[in-house]
Amino acid sequence: MLLASAVLSFAVNALSPNGIDVIGKYRELSGSEGPIVPPTAEPDDPPFIDINVAQMEHAAGQALFVDARNLEDFECGTIPGSVNLPFEYLPEGDLAPYFDSVLAAPKDRMLIVFCSGEECDLSLHLARNLKLQGYTDLAIFFGGAREWEKFGLDVERRKQCG
Amino acid sequence: MRLINNEYLTMLSRLLIGGMLIYASFYKIIEPASFAKSIWYYHLVPGYLINLMALILPWLELLCGVGLILGILYDGSRLWSALMMVVFIIALASTIYRGIDIDCGCFKASQGATKSAWSALIFDLVAMLFIMQLMLSKSRRWLLCPK
Repeated sequence: MLLASAVLSFAVNALSPNGIDVIGKYRELSGSEGPIVPPTAEPDDPPFIDINVAQMEHAAGQALFVDARNLEDFECGTIPGSVNLPFEYLPEGDLAPYFDSVLAAPKDRMLIVFCSGEECDLSLHLARNLKLQGYTDLAIFFGGAREWEKFGLDVERRKQCG
Repeated sequence: MRLINNEYLTMLSRLLIGGMLIYASFYKIIEPASFAKSIWYYHLVPGYLINLMALILPWLELLCGVGLILGILYDGSRLWSALMMVVFIIALASTIYRGIDIDCGCFKASQGATKSAWSALIFDLVAMLFIMQLMLSKSRRWLLCPK
């Protein structure tokens, strides 16, 4: 029965649009002290997640990572697969069409917003804006790109920077 | 022993446990990534085994459920059902003991409160009673493949 389950599961997984890697890339990252929460956080802000949960969500592949830094920082090194929504350069006026075109994701897709690290609150402000625009499944990875790199996780670099 | 071997009680246990296993397998088969995340939150399985477990376990549940209800591969179905239930009970008890605040991921993917781990544990312990009855019962009535 175990063999039959394995054969059926691999076959269906290979054909399914929701298929996953057979061997997961989850890592237990020791040294994390839980999620970093800025002092400016409000009770109704989206939840803050730590590096372990961020890495797990990245490995699971369901969440979309959103980099709130400017294009230069994004291209120098970001979490693989992220999209760039530079909070400081958001267009004026109605943000809904802009968010829809950049994210190209349904409103209930999980979005994990991040920026550089603890000194940067762009992720917090962007997450609040996304929430106002009706995105329902948001999380803030306040450790950001720096904590991601500090734990030796893969970084996507679009250009070489100093 | 007469109650344990009662063929109507055995059929009831087969329907209850089989139905529960089939129902529990659906979301996990459709959304394996969500189920993998649920497994991750238990912090019991090595990372490289999480997806493998998330893929195979739901199909084992489904096959056992169908096997129990129809009476096909009946002995294997009740044995695997018992083994899976023991694993679920140990996993749930360990999260409660360690104070990990998770939803069990038994029937759907979500991260709720510890209360749901407690209710899931009680649910599984009750289900284990029915599975034990199935394991001990000598009744082989209404099996499609009695041998």
